[in-house]
Amino acid sequence: MSEPLLRVEHLCQYFGPNKAVDDVSFEINKGEVFGLVGESGCGKTTTGRSIIKLYNITSGSIYFKGKRIAAGTKSYKDRISEARKEIAGASPERRRELETEIARLREEIRKARRDHEQCDKLYKNELVREVREKFEPLLGKTTGEKRKQTAKEYRKALRIAKKQRYVTKIQMIFQDPIASLDPRMTVMDTIAEGLVIRGEKDKAVLEQKVYDILERVGLVREHANRYPHEFSGGQRQRIGVARAVVMEPELIIADEPVSALDVSIQAQVINLLNELRRDFGLTFLFIAHDLSVVKYFSDRIGVMYYGHMVELATSDELFAHPLHPYTQSLLSAIPLPDPLMEKKRKRLKYDPLSAHNYGNEMPEMREVCPGHFVRCSMEEFGRYRQQLGLGTSDEE
Amino acid sequence: MMAENNTKGIAVQAQESPQTEKKLQVHNLRISFRTSAGKVQAVRGISFDLQKGETLAIVGESGSGKSVTSKAILGIQAGNAITEEGEILYNGMDLLKIGEDDFYHLRGDKLAMIFQDPLSSLNPIMRIGKQLTEAMLLKSKARRKASRKEFGTWMGILTKRMETAAPEKSAELKRQADHLKQLEKKSVKKEQAYQAARSCAEEAEEECENILYLIEKKAWKDLSDAAKVRDFTKHAIHPDVLTEEEYKPVRERVESLTRGLRARQKKNDFSETAESVRMISERLKTALEKEKPDYLEQTWKEAGHSESLEEGFMKEFKEYAEAGIRVSDRKFTQYRQKAAEELGKGLETLKAGGPDALLPELNRICKAVDDSIDPVELVKDSMACTFTGNMKYLSARWREGLRSNDRKEKKYQREKARAEKRAARGKAWTVPAPTVIDLDTVSSNMERVISGLKEHYEERIAAEGTEDKARKTELVIRNIEEKAAGMAARMDKWTARNKALKLMEEVGISEPRVRYRQYPFEFSGGMRQRIVIAIALAADPDILICDEPTTALDVTIQAQILELINRLKEKRNLSIIFITHDLGVVANMADRIAVMYAGKIVEYGTSEEIFYAPAHPYTWALLSSMPDLDTKEKLEAIPGTPPNMIYPPKGDAFAERNRYAMEIDFEEEPPVFQVSETHWAATWLLHPDAPKVDPPAAVTERIRKMKARTAEVSGIE
Repeated sequence: MSEPLLRVEHLCQYFGPNKAVDDVSFEINKGEVFGLVGESGCGKTTTGRSIIKLYNITSGSIYFKGKRIAAGTKSYKDRISEARKEIAGASPERRRELETEIARLREEIRKARRDHEQCDKLYKNELVREVREKFEPLLGKTTGEKRKQTAKEYRKALRIAKKQRYVTKIQMIFQDPIASLDPRMTVMDTIAEGLVIRGEKDKAVLEQKVYDILERVGLVREHANRYPHEFSGGQRQRIGVARAVVMEPELIIADEPVSALDVSIQAQVINLLNELRRDFGLTFLFIAHDLSVVKYFSDRIGVMYYGHMVELATSDELFAHPLHPYTQSLLSAIPLPDPLMEKKRKRLKYDPLSAHNYGNEMPEMREVCPGHFVRCSMEEFGRYRQQLGLGTSDEE
Repeated sequence: MMAENNTKGIAVQAQESPQTEKKLQVHNLRISFRTSAGKVQAVRGISFDLQKGETLAIVGESGSGKSVTSKAILGIQAGNAITEEGEILYNGMDLLKIGEDDFYHLRGDKLAMIFQDPLSSLNPIMRIGKQLTEAMLLKSKARRKASRKEFGTWMGILTKRMETAAPEKSAELKRQADHLKQLEKKSVKKEQAYQAARSCAEEAEEECENILYLIEKKAWKDLSDAAKVRDFTKHAIHPDVLTEEEYKPVRERVESLTRGLRARQKKNDFSETAESVRMISERLKTALEKEKPDYLEQTWKEAGHSESLEEGFMKEFKEYAEAGIRVSDRKFTQYRQKAAEELGKGLETLKAGGPDALLPELNRICKAVDDSIDPVELVKDSMACTFTGNMKYLSARWREGLRSNDRKEKKYQREKARAEKRAARGKAWTVPAPTVIDLDTVSSNMERVISGLKEHYEERIAAEGTEDKARKTELVIRNIEEKAAGMAARMDKWTARNKALKLMEEVGISEPRVRYRQYPFEFSGGMRQRIVIAIALAADPDILICDEPTTALDVTIQAQILELINRLKEKRNLSIIFITHDLGVVANMADRIAVMYAGKIVEYGTSEEIFYAPAHPYTWALLSSMPDLDTKEKLEAIPGTPPNMIYPPKGDAFAERNRYAMEIDFEEEPPVFQVSETHWAATWLLHPDAPKVDPPAAVTERIRKMKARTAEVSGIE
């Protein structure tokens, strides 16, 4: 299988004693929509924000197109301190082993720090090198007026390349369209801001890009000179979408983009996102708590509960065979526009203490059937497999 | 405490009666807002009524006037709101016309509201406990005062009635009733002590269960639970709850419960503690099984009466009261007949000679109607009570119109002529249209009010014979008892705290004692909303208005909150107005649904009718724009945005966004078409000449699936 667009490995994000996200791993392939659901406070927004490097992650790694863009060091540090403790009373042989281990871990920490802090710089250097390689032979070949022209182009390309950042290939759409737009900036300024930061100076180019994107998201040119308060909620969210899409990202993290909108407007925005996805081949990390919207929009869905990913499957599979009791309780809570069914409906309650018995063994993510992961203990794993009619197997 | 119990008693009884009782009636409400850009017509003539114990859902997009309506009911509109027309009738009052002093006794006490955003409706720097008890403590004095006043008037009326029925006995009965009033105070105090002890026993028992569960699961970490059991058990000692006798055998165990816990935790062996807790829990359970003694009866006996209260005094009292009420009811029926005749005459005069002819007769008619209002009515006759006020207002409008319309019109013509001259010279000049009073509307309104009351009275006179007098008397006496208890019930901090804790438990907040002392930021969104609900319920309201209570919450919490509201509705027999933009939410909540668009109700029906047979294109659009779990194809979003209500569109407001709009939709506003007895919609599509249009495929498909699923489920059952 080819390299996924985004790979999150053992992501942990702690805020002091609070483990907001604890050991979450998943992959997003190019062109797919990955939904992240869970109740408020379960860490789904934190996951999104960690990916776009709004936080410094505590431990784990995030790879975007094969490059590590964020890495945490806590897990290495923990292992070093464990090894140190062991060293005190170890035999000389074991001691040597541990010391090499510590040296290796230290090297890992150095690498992680370098990747985390310098991924943008490395990317920039690479781009600058590419530009140099492209233009320098050209400059040698041409002379006179043409050389001047090329030199000018070269300078511009170099400037733009120097201002590039790797992470801008990931963009975010925020939940609250009122709070996430600066009330004192016109729509033009808001949308063009990212481009300007990225080194685009030409006003005509900026305007053209803004106009194009406005029309693309269902607004009109005339809206460019207005202020956010002059728009309705749905239109504001369109501006938020335009601001993200104009940067030509490859991955969009949509953090509850429709939760604050009216039902009828929700449909407009979801349709818009769907069109953009089709036209630009965008990949989405779609964070939401409304399960029917997530089901409609996503290819695969990850369910989070208190910082852990508890179940991960394709959306059809997840809704057809929910295995984890929390997923089942979540699915049973979806309100349906059907009064007779609603009156009969039984909502399942999830109580982690009574639902699981993790006295002997800590649960971990296991693949119950291809593509369907559940966080469970070995005993539950067997039960889940039986539920799916797969028979028990001791090997994962 | 007493008062609370009594209210519930009445509520249960009222539920048994087949009659449906209209709690709230809204007629032709129009509200606008003055803004710098012009007048925004937020609500344009809506009417609905709310029955006791039902949920009415108002559904629509933002800006359709749902929240404005609910705020008008509570009298908390923005400063720039203008109430142009209409009435909101509640218990003999028109909520649009009463003053702030009257509203003080209604808002929170009778009408409560749950707001959309729990974070902004709680005070961030006050502890939850304080916010819960604040209103109880503040209103305690006002409520006692109101109870005293009402008790006086009710007793006065009733004794007068009894005098007419049995003059010779009345003095004796009055003396006895006064004596009872004194005893009531004592009994309420006893009752409060009992309730305090009982709540402690309940708390301790629950804590015991909790500890046992945790020990069994080997997950007991917080050892302070044991101290809680100890303290609460000690507080539960009360002659009617946990007697000293019962406590003695477990005293040793209770007192030693907290000793040596750390050591046991280290050894991970709680077997001894578990044994103790089990024994204490059993004691508490037997204590809680005891029945609550009747303290009023006790005090009555202590005061030296030989017969029991119910058998002796109350029986006699009730008999005479019933006799009195029978006599007076007969009298008031006659008054009503007279009033109906007067109204009939008035109506004829109005039809023949217009309001001018009616005005001289108005005083007489109003007097007849006022006389016919029976003070012994638990639920006041809203139409009769507001009649005089309405007529006075309308006649004043009529006179004002006669006096000033001509003048205003002339002034307008003058200014217009001048403006035209200026315009001819090339200067732009606009003259605002005169604010004349439409005399025809005033006259037709008069006719509506008079004929409405006349019909209402005729119905009542016809129904007079079927009324159950014994039950009526019972309710009246219960009301008086309640008022007497209200006079004595002093809400101190301890009682308020207990009540708040109970409420917190009722709305599903675990560990209420810990939570009581926390600040709002320490709560999650769902918990905050529960607190807001608890605050709304603190005063036992009649009507609960929920303004998008779950929009800010996620699915699981939403489901919990909806279940909670449903449960409370059944338990307390509340009437609920539920406002939301999400049709999915109301499916298991609503009995009836009103779909609002651009300040009007466009469709109205029971929830089954709205979901299984929607008739208005806007309802179709709302239903098809939300994805369900089977949706795969493109969503059918409603194009565009709601219209600007400064300039309401001509014809059907929804026409511009409507796929099924016909030419007439842009010309003329559709009237209301009745689909069934309880279901109507305002759309030209229902007109007999309209082409037959089916709802969009997404909706029909979904309805088909829903029906199939329902059939399948019932088949299995």
